Amino acid sequence: MMWYQTGTCLAMATAPAALSGAALAADPPPDAAAVNKAFEALKSFDWGTDQKLLKPIDDAVMAAHSNAALQRELEPRLAAVLKTGASRDAKDFVCRKLMLIGTAASVPVLAELLADNDHSHMARYALERIPAPEAASALRDALPKLSGSLKIGVIGSLGVRRDAASVSALASLLSDADAKIASAAMCALGDTGNSEAARALSACTKKASKEVHPALADALLVTAERLLADGKKAEAIAIYKSLGGEDQPKLIRLAATHGLLVAAGKKE
Amino acid sequence: MSRVIQTTRRDFLKKASLTVAAPYVITTAALGAQGRPPASQRIVMAGIGIGNMGSGDQKSFTGRRDVQYVAVCDVRKQVGEAAKGRVDRHYKNHDCKVYHDFRDVLARPDIDAVHVATPDHWHALIVIAACRAGKDVYCQKPETRTLREGPLMIAAARRYSRVVSGGSQRVLEDYRKTVDQCWGGELGTIKSINVNVGPLSQPCNLPAEPVPPGMDWDMWLGPAPWAPYNHSRCDGNYSTGGNSWRSYRDYSGGGMTDWGAHHFGGATFAVDVRELQPVEVVYNNQQGKEFLTYRYPTGLLLYHNHPGMQNLQVVGTPGEKRPPKAVPTYKGHGGIYGDFLYCVKTREKPFRDIERAVNTIVLAHMGIIAYDLKRSLRWDRAKQEFTGDEVANRMLDRARRQPWQL
Repeated sequence: MMWYQTGTCLAMATAPAALSGAALAADPPPDAAAVNKAFEALKSFDWGTDQKLLKPIDDAVMAAHSNAALQRELEPRLAAVLKTGASRDAKDFVCRKLMLIGTAASVPVLAELLADNDHSHMARYALERIPAPEAASALRDALPKLSGSLKIGVIGSLGVRRDAASVSALASLLSDADAKIASAAMCALGDTGNSEAARALSACTKKASKEVHPALADALLVTAERLLADGKKAEAIAIYKSLGGEDQPKLIRLAATHGLLVAAGKKE
Repeated sequence: MSRVIQTTRRDFLKKASLTVAAPYVITTAALGAQGRPPASQRIVMAGIGIGNMGSGDQKSFTGRRDVQYVAVCDVRKQVGEAAKGRVDRHYKNHDCKVYHDFRDVLARPDIDAVHVATPDHWHALIVIAACRAGKDVYCQKPETRTLREGPLMIAAARRYSRVVSGGSQRVLEDYRKTVDQCWGGELGTIKSINVNVGPLSQPCNLPAEPVPPGMDWDMWLGPAPWAPYNHSRCDGNYSTGGNSWRSYRDYSGGGMTDWGAHHFGGATFAVDVRELQPVEVVYNNQQGKEFLTYRYPTGLLLYHNHPGMQNLQVVGTPGEKRPPKAVPTYKGHGGIYGDFLYCVKTREKPFRDIERAVNTIVLAHMGIIAYDLKRSLRWDRAKQEFTGDEVANRMLDRARRQPWQL
């Protein structure tokens, strides 16, 4: 915690890469005393509190993007707030900042919030955007411990991350007794959109309940688009053909036909 | 449900059978009297989000003879009831249905098209759900709240062959002189254009107030982070000064996206780059005056808030004349609404096709990120991500509150 303990201000470690000879502004270095004061204010921060009190933390987070030492100092300090009795609003603020500068180091404390009704979303707010693979692992590992809406949220975040390592975990949810969870898993696999996801989705077409048919068809169409974009034309065409039968609603049959035309280069 | 999907006709009929069947009378209006197309040839429409912009859109669509407007949806009971009253007075009946959950509107197989004028944080989710339900969509601007949403909306529209129009009528109508000068060739090769618009939205930390009767607050928030009700957090007025949802980052990009959809849209139309996206945005700071320079693959520069330049000020090539090009315009009649309805019938792309609308609003979102980070960014259109900037890429999207997912 050197920079704020010593009260000195760290200059930016590296200047942002200049594009096209643009003039760039150097962020004013964070004032350590002001940041300390802001962390103190965070302890009693709640809805209605003047948010200017937290601005030094905002500024420090922005400066941390190009200052590794500052980032290393700031991240654990923010994460520590999540273990305190700070208000929901204060913890929301912290999750928003960790979304921007969080690393694998923050994942454990964020993961602990995934089962908390008040904090699960904002924990995902950070975890969904932290690129470290540990963030995806934490989301995946939380699945068996969750149910209902919170589980659906985590499934969705894995889909947004297109996490290939989560395909088998998501596939195991395709026959979940809760149709909303099964549908969410279908959508997440569609977002992931690789060959393994396609196989998992295709394998459940015959046994899927009618309630989840629309989600399954949409997920297969999305998967086919992603496979096509990845150059796996034969796999995409196989999916489109599987959705062209009379057992499918007209809208899905039309979408499958459209997909075949796209695959053939006859449509955009 | 993590993602909104279409309800089957059977599901709808199952629900409908639970209600008391009303006798159906074939009226002269249904048969097409008074110059109206017969009911079977009208576009059956509903409105989702019927506040300030939504009520204006509703008026425009109900005024069309080729539209049968059948339902309104709003999370505020009084707003929904008032909208129903306007529709019923127009048709002189009591037929308009009121919903507070848009999924119930999309589940109706008789509805062909919807217009969406919710706060911005709902747009993508509802538009994509509507496409999955087989509806055509007229969506108010700004069409997206994050950069990730745009390509998903375009993909859904194309996947289900839906007509999806963005909602800025000003793109074609407000900047006509500039458009005519540029397309007419009299300015020569266009080198740059400037857009003045703002401000950026801010975080919101307003105190809790009692939720008014009739307001479904959880549904108003939808995919946005939970926060307590406060009238200034959700007011639909056009201010960006702190007493409306347009002021706040969770729901809007502020003036940058709101009026930005108009001005950026007008600028990119005038200089004919509406099919393109920039390859980089350069952050400039000259003695504390921040402005942006977007660079297009054609070499054209689009400035945001360039010091000393007027809104939509164009720099061409003095002494050069270019061959004039025909200015694209709306199809059908009746402005942007007529254009949308014409395309619903013909299945053509509307003037503000969702892809063009997204190409516009990308500028605003990229600009917000560049201003936030105070640095220049390179944009890879094919990958829809910033090149070599992990932090900027974190800002492409944000997790949606459960159970909502795109």
